[in-house]
Amino acid sequence: MNLFVDIFGYLSIILHGLVIVAQSMTLGGLSFLLLLLLPLAPSLARGASLERRVLRLTCTAAAGLILAELATTALQVAVLMATVDLPLGNVLQASFAIAGGVKILCAALILAGLNPRTLASRGGRLALLLVGVAELAAATFTTHAYARLDDNALLLAVEGLHQLGAAIWIGAIPAFVLVLHHLDEAQGLRQVGARFSRMSMAGVACILLSGVTMCVFYIGDWSGFYGTAYGVMVGAKIVMFLALLLLGLGNFRVTERLRKGQVAPVLRMRRFAEVEIGIGFTIFFAAASLTSVPPAIDLTADRVSLHEIAERNAPSWPRLSSPDHDSLAISQLQAQLDRDAERHHQVAQAATVPGSGVLPPRNAEDIAWSEYNHHWAGIFVLLIGLLALLGRAGVGWARHWPLLFLVMAAFLLVRSDPEVWPLGQEGWWAAWRDVEVSQHRFFVLLIVLFGAFEWSVRTGRLRSARAALVFPLLVAVGGAMLLTHSHQISNVKDQLLIELTHTPLALSGVAAGWARWLELRLPGRGGRIAGVVWPICFMLTGVILLWYREA
Amino acid sequence: MRPVHRLATVAFAASMAFASMAASAHAILIDSSPKANGSVAAGHVPLALKYNSKIDQARSKLVLSGGPGQQDVTLRIAADAGKPSELDSEADLKPGSYVIHWQALALDGHITRGDLPFTVGAAAP
Repeated sequence: MNLFVDIFGYLSIILHGLVIVAQSMTLGGLSFLLLLLLPLAPSLARGASLERRVLRLTCTAAAGLILAELATTALQVAVLMATVDLPLGNVLQASFAIAGGVKILCAALILAGLNPRTLASRGGRLALLLVGVAELAAATFTTHAYARLDDNALLLAVEGLHQLGAAIWIGAIPAFVLVLHHLDEAQGLRQVGARFSRMSMAGVACILLSGVTMCVFYIGDWSGFYGTAYGVMVGAKIVMFLALLLLGLGNFRVTERLRKGQVAPVLRMRRFAEVEIGIGFTIFFAAASLTSVPPAIDLTADRVSLHEIAERNAPSWPRLSSPDHDSLAISQLQAQLDRDAERHHQVAQAATVPGSGVLPPRNAEDIAWSEYNHHWAGIFVLLIGLLALLGRAGVGWARHWPLLFLVMAAFLLVRSDPEVWPLGQEGWWAAWRDVEVSQHRFFVLLIVLFGAFEWSVRTGRLRSARAALVFPLLVAVGGAMLLTHSHQISNVKDQLLIELTHTPLALSGVAAGWARWLELRLPGRGGRIAGVVWPICFMLTGVILLWYREA
Repeated sequence: MRPVHRLATVAFAASMAFASMAASAHAILIDSSPKANGSVAAGHVPLALKYNSKIDQARSKLVLSGGPGQQDVTLRIAADAGKPSELDSEADLKPGSYVIHWQALALDGHITRGDLPFTVGAAAP
């Protein structure tokens, strides 16, 4: 079990992300029902039908919350029982298990209470609201705030406010999109738009107030922002938050025009709201990942300075030739172990044991190997962006550009982890215990999937409109994955300097995915602009990869 | 798109959004006795690992390896509510190289692990 602790830690973060998504949609759906739909339903032409639809959506989210929380708590409990050798009864008394239990109970109560009869009574609505507050309170007990040495009460309240803001704004957007889809009367659109606009503004205010407070308590100063993994991740969250605000501003202007009785692009509002859901969920996963990183304020040593960042990113020519595999540190160590074993007539030890937590050795050749991989990947992505633009301009053969993704996937599968089969000694299956290897393989799978789908769509092999959406969705997911892609390097500074390059790459990927989504979903000028934006995002990604340095 | 399909799309996007890869330590070791790569005299040695956050002492683990016997020994952690961010223990150590493999459960539920290498020199006269 000890060899699985890292991969389980990684899985628990993914599950935590799903918990945040489900919790936000549950509480967001609940607030949408209680604050918007129920008061407005009598005046809407299809109020009862809309109420049923949002009720169903929120019930699904609550059921999802139960499952995700059950899975994340069970995983943590299993790891603790196995690694610390504790009985189940003991582990279930740990704070995280109690908090998880309370969240599951609250989600079950919400699920049970989400029916027209309960919602019709004032007492029922109040009870649902209180259960929602209890769930939110329990959720704060699995955040940094509960484990801090000081100011616990204040920080717990701030965390609660942050999650509340995320729920009533981002978590309620799916319900808003659902209602917009089925609402065609101008008066109804006016009312729903105006009220959701106010809810969103309240959510933004909660996020801003709590976010600034957390920055003060968890980051402290500017060097904490750019010099630590925590600060960089918060920076990425802020960039995505600003993108959400921009989209929200666009939607606010639509609701204002509706309020004034003017013609307004309601379809654009719906499409922007869909993109808001995507970016908002990416922020939730970034937040889940953030809970696994120590707050910047605690990392007083090993911070990266601005000078070091500038020095690392000084321009230089891309590395287009690879060092020899035998010259890598892990290969040399394995060769040494093989020689020693042969001398003593023993079976040679493996130079690395995946999942052991022991970081592999690293020399200058390893750095050159990694830079070579990144630089060739950059060339692939740059070409893909360029060919996509040419294809758009009418160059027929350029429409086959998605095939380049498949070539790139094969290249990455072979070269990303030189210690693993087929180049190295580690077995294919055992290597899944290594978090970085698992991440690389997932990237490869994503690249193959979106490359294959997009090529099939562009060459007419797949004609479904939904098939076309696979590419933008998976590109956005890939960008989100990259956001917190970790490198198993013992030097904390080197690790951060690498993450500093990966953050703009990730943001560019998220932007590319959602721009392509808009191109497909939004007719007219907006879609055309988005159609130029995403290939440019790809080209930008390629340039950043070509710029990449590890020393 | 029907609501069920939309929800399925959203759920798919969410489940695929592996935005969370950071395996970085949550609870970090900010001080220890012995210090990392430090040295202490042989004999009865108090061991203290101090973290940046509150630790669930009853559900954390310290394993001592190395020394003349080269065997792994699970150390008993002293429960001390007055030192919520510490894992304290003690051991009778002979000269040699040792590593404490620690696994800490932060109160917010995050498990972190790490190593604390140190050497034990001859006993003080």
